[in-house]
Formats: sequence, structure tokens, C-alpha cells
Amino acid sequence: MWLLLWPIQGIVGYPEDCKERHGGNVRCPSITLDKLLDRIIQHAELIFRVSEESCSLFEEMFIPLTIRPQLSRGGSMCGTKYVSGSKGEIQQISDKWLLHSTLIMIQSWIEPLNNLQITLDRYDNAPDILLKNTKWVSNKLINLEQGVIVLTKKMLNEDILLSEPNQSLAHYVTHPDMLESVLTDYSLLSCFKKDAHKVETFLKLLKCRQAERPSCFL
Amino acid sequence: SLFGDHWRECPEYLASNECYFNKTYTAVWTTYCIELRSRVHNLTYDDDCFSVEYIVHPDPPIKLNWTLLNVSRSLLHFDIMVHWKSPPSADVKGGWMTLVYEVNYRERNATRWHTLGEESETYRSIYGLNTGTEYEVRVRCKMRNFENFGEFSETILVYYPSTANKEFPFPVTLALVFGAVGVGVLLVLIIFSQQQKLMVILLPPVPAPKIKGIDPDLLKKGKLDELSSILTSQHLYKPELLEEDTWVEFIEVDAGDAGAKADLGEESDTQRLLGPAHHSLLGLKDDDSGRASCYDPELPESELLSDTEPLHKRGVAPPSTPTSAAVAGVSPAVAPAAPLIQTQLGTQTWVNMDFYAQVSDVTATGAVVLSPGQQGGAPEQEQQREKEEEEKENKKKEEEEKVRKGEEQKEEEEEREKKKQKESFQLLVVDPDGGAYTSESDARQIGTRFSYTPGPPQPPTLGVPVGGYQSPYLLVDAPPCPPLPLPLPPVSDYTVVQDVDAQHSLLLNPTPPEPPAPHLPSVKPLPAM
Repeated sequence: MWLLLWPIQGIVGYPEDCKERHGGNVRCPSITLDKLLDRIIQHAELIFRVSEESCSLFEEMFIPLTIRPQLSRGGSMCGTKYVSGSKGEIQQISDKWLLHSTLIMIQSWIEPLNNLQITLDRYDNAPDILLKNTKWVSNKLINLEQGVIVLTKKMLNEDILLSEPNQSLAHYVTHPDMLESVLTDYSLLSCFKKDAHKVETFLKLLKCRQAERPSCFL
Repeated sequence: SLFGDHWRECPEYLASNECYFNKTYTAVWTTYCIELRSRVHNLTYDDDCFSVEYIVHPDPPIKLNWTLLNVSRSLLHFDIMVHWKSPPSADVKGGWMTLVYEVNYRERNATRWHTLGEESETYRSIYGLNTGTEYEVRVRCKMRNFENFGEFSETILVYYPSTANKEFPFPVTLALVFGAVGVGVLLVLIIFSQQQKLMVILLPPVPAPKIKGIDPDLLKKGKLDELSSILTSQHLYKPELLEEDTWVEFIEVDAGDAGAKADLGEESDTQRLLGPAHHSLLGLKDDDSGRASCYDPELPESELLSDTEPLHKRGVAPPSTPTSAAVAGVSPAVAPAAPLIQTQLGTQTWVNMDFYAQVSDVTATGAVVLSPGQQGGAPEQEQQREKEEEEKENKKKEEEEKVRKGEEQKEEEEEREKKKQKESFQLLVVDPDGGAYTSESDARQIGTRFSYTPGPPQPPTLGVPVGGYQSPYLLVDAPPCPPLPLPLPPVSDYTVVQDVDAQHSLLLNPTPPEPPAPHLPSVKPLPAM
């Protein structure tokens, strides 16, 4: 599979590929694992923040006050995930498995967010910033995906397969009754926010493990 | 109380209205629902669903402390750096909780807290605290991108002693302030009192453009005669008498008559140009046509300015002649001579020539006889009669030419037949190719306008805008613009003047000449086309 380009492309290097192409005479640019991880985490944090803003904005605009309290506290059901469980359980998960889950999660959200963009366009008074954010997030997700792939390669020295998200997980529950599409969209945003938080947390966990192993297993 | 996918009861009741689920029961990113039911009545009083991270209130930060950053020179203010540690229960290192902190501070006995914005760092600087005052500082935190703040930390006291003589700097500052204010007031007073002088110094007036000896008012009021006299006296202009020059480039301007004519209504420039009545003024010519092109452009102006008559706004004043007899001289000279081109009448007459002239006749040699315009008084009427004769001759001539062309035969006949008094001179350009020149229809139109009546000059009703002469009727090639001395057989009204020969005859030519510059003092056809 092709490794797509990370936005910090100029710096990211794939030592093996680079040397293969240029025959060892050229110095290939590279980035340290720490730096790479930091940047990935920055991306993930940003994505999470934007997703949170979008969620709040959507809730303000379109969710009736009566059902707001329930929904705003994360009460909407989201689909089953690869990784779930308590903190203790998650901390037991290996790096490889963490990376893999992260990648799967990221990949699984690219398509639904694209669909959401289309759906939001149909809203009468969807605020511009909401649309912008959704678009931005879609783009950033792709970048994040690439970064994680690179990271995986670096950390585990193995290529990760870019599997198609055939297993498009049911991310959210569709509400068949009134406010159907609105609630569906809100659920989508809410569940995405959750997953973004998850991704960020996993990556930070990985970073902690890179730094000092023992203290990360509290 | 129950929770989870399948309802389970609360594992631990703490008080009559509290239930405790320890961390074995909860997992992050999982949605839980709880219900408050009445066991007895089998009623559900309340329910709620949530996810753990949404309801987290972090513990307060610990180990809050401060350090002095610096003190101001006046020893009145000081800056500090406050720092703390994240709550130990929050697994920040592992990335499970990302916290942001909010710092509050206030003076010891104040009621409201100052709030500094959320930052994810565990330190914060506070600037501008007053020395000698006690401050309280506290901090709290929450999960980033979530809503719930935890409790505030313990409050610490911040204090920096002020210097002993706080009084000392005070008067100095006050004195300085008063001094500055006084100086400012003084400056303002000075400026206001000396406003004018200052304005002159700062913004010296720009001298208006002037010509020595000339009052700008003259220009404004249009007293051009005075102006021109002044100018003449200064020898700025040299009016050259056109005694030897036979061409004057000017448009005849008749202030008085022009005004009168203006009253008549749409008087076109042509009318004025052609109008013979102008001769009364300025001692000018009138019937001169088109000589203008023959003179240098400057000359006419000089001529004009030397006049004492007000200039017509439309045109340039015709060159003045020393005597008004020129005009008089014109008429009698014209009367007997068949060649009516008044330019023949004498050099002086040239000066007074109209810009445009009507072709009244065409000589056998092809020279065009020009006649003055129809407007004017009695002398003109005479002239016009003579013109008529000439015109007839011209027509004949024209006819001859037209015969050659063949096309214009109809026109000739028509024109001959009509012979109505037309408004102005019209020169029909005969162009076999029918290029840019008058077409048959045009000629017809022109012909209809052709006027030979000896009657009183009709009010100019050209009805055609003067300005936009489309017709490329400039005819003459040759530089010299002599008058046409020879009486020409009447030809059609319009013809192309190809050249002017030594005898000052206009040579008519079938081929349309390129009009270089308005050389010929003649016929500008009326914009009939």
C-alpha cells in the first residue's frame, strides 16, 4: 500500500523507502518518533476540540430545550467499538492493538462525516461555521490517518494495512420518530466527539508509554 | 436505582438520597442510564443517561504557591508567578485527563474575584498587583472541552511590602502632572491668540496664478475686449494682418449678431460661420469661407484678440482688419465680378472670409466659385443673387462632370429643378466609387437644401448638428488657398474640390482627394448626410 503523505511531509522520512529510491547517497529527511507523536497528538486534540464545538453549536441550533439535558451529557447511544472497557482494561492493551484501533476508528469516521456535510447542506439555517468545521474535520481526519500509519510503521516497524472500512460500524442509532434526521445528525456528531476523545486519549497513552513505561500503568 | 444495559440496582447507598458506584462499575466512553424508581409503587420518578466523561468534576489542584517576578520602579506595583500541581487523582500523565486551569485573585477584603482565562499550564503570572496590599489567589480545573469545573483549591495569600515613604513620589508625580497641564493650557492659549500668524507660518498661502497687469476679473466677466487690448499692448500677440495672406483660419464671430442669431434658435456654427452679417462687427469680412485653414492657427487668435469686440463664445473671432471698409470693399467688388469668391476681392477680404463658403459657381477650368452665405443684409442679397447666377453656372459645370459619372445625373436635375433656398453651403462630393462620399441620396438631400433665393436671409435652420460633420468633404489638397477668381459655370451644388491652381481656382476632380488639412477656404458641406 502506498503511504500517503503526511502534512509535515517535508520532514517525515521513511528511511527504508528513501534509501531505496535514492540509493543511499541522498540524506533523507526524517523526524523523531517523539516529534511525530507530538504532532499527531496535536492534530487529535484539535480535531477533538473542533468536534466539540460543532456538537455544541448543533445542539444550540437544532435540539429542542426539553431533550437537551439528556443528550448533552453524552446520553446518545453510539455503536460498539473496537475498544471499550474500563481504564484498567484499556491500559492492558498493547501498543500495536492501540494503534490499530486508533487507525480503524479514524478511518471509520471519514465517510460518515462526508455524508454529514451533505446532510447539513440541506438544513435551512445551518451556521456557516458548522459547515466549515465539518469540512475541516474531514480533511484533518485524513491527515491524522496518514500520520498514524507512519507512526505505526515507525513504532512497530511494520506496515499497516489500509483496510477499507467495510466494517462500517454502526456509529449511531437512527431515531425513527420525529426530529429524525436532526437527532440522527446530532447523534453522529456526539458519537464522533466521543471517538475523537478516545483517539486523543489513546495517542497520549502511547506517548506516555514511549516516555516512561511504568508510571503509565496507574 | 438501576443502571446499565440491563437494569441493576445501586450497589451502595450512601445516604438516603445518594448512590455510589465505584470505578469498577463505570467505564469511560460508555453511556449509562439511571432511573429513580419507587419500589413500592412501581413508579419511575426520574431517569437520565450520560457518559462518564461528561459528568466529571476534577479534584482541585494542589500545592498552590507564588513567586515574585518583579517590582515596578515606583515600587508601587509588583508581578508574581503562581504555580500549582494537578490533582493527584487525575491521570494527566497517562493522557486520560487533559485539564485546564482557571485562576482567581482578589484583594483581601474585596468582594469580587478577578478571573484569569483557562490555560492548560500549571503556572500563571499575575501583573500589576499593588504593593502593600494583601491578595488572595486560588485555582480550579476542569477537563478540556468539557464543562464541569472542579472545586477551588486552597486560597493563598500574596503580599509585598511597599516602601516606607510612599508619600514621597506622590507629590513629584502630582507636580509633574500639573506642570504638564499648565504647559498644555499655555500652548492652547498661544495658539488661539496667534491663530492667524501661525496659520501663515505653518501653511503659507499659495499665490494664485496671475498675469501681470491683467485683472482676473476681466476673464471672469468675459470682457475680452479689454483683455485683448491689454494683451496687445503687451505685445504678447502679434496680430498679423493678412494683407498678404489670403487665408484666414478663423470662424467668423459676430458678437452682436451672433447674439441676435442665437435668439433665433438653433443656429448652427455653420450658420454663423457662413453668416455674412458678421461683417458688421469687428470690421470683418464675412463672406469668406474656409480660408481659415490657410492661416496659421495662431494668427487668427491674435487677430481675434486684437479685436475689441467681445468674442463669440462659439467661435474664434475673425481676424480683424484695420478697416471695416474691407467689408464694404467686398460687396462692391463682388457685385460686378462674376467670380464671387470674395476672397478675390482683396487681401483684406481674406481676412474676413468665412470659414465656409458656398460654391456658387464652377468655372470652366474647374475652379469653384465660392459665394458668401445667405444670411446678411442687403449687400448679401445682392451677393446672393450673383451667387445664384454663379450657381447656375456651377451647376452646369457640375452637370458636365456628373455626366461623366453618370450616377449623379439625377441629382443634377433635381437640384436644378429645386433651387430652393437652402440653409447653407453644401458641397457635394462626387465620388465615382461611391466611397466615403455623398451618395446619391445624400446628394439629393443636399440638393434640397440648396438655397439660392435672394430673399432675406432665412433664419438659420440647419437642423443638423453642426458639430458632427461626418462628411469627409475636405477637398483641397493644395496648400495655397487663393480665391477663385474665375467665374465658373454653374455646376451641381456639390463637387469635390481637388486642387487649387495658381489662379486660385478650385479644381474639381472626380476622385476624392485626401483631405490633409483644411486648406481650402471653402465648402464644408452642411451635415445633410
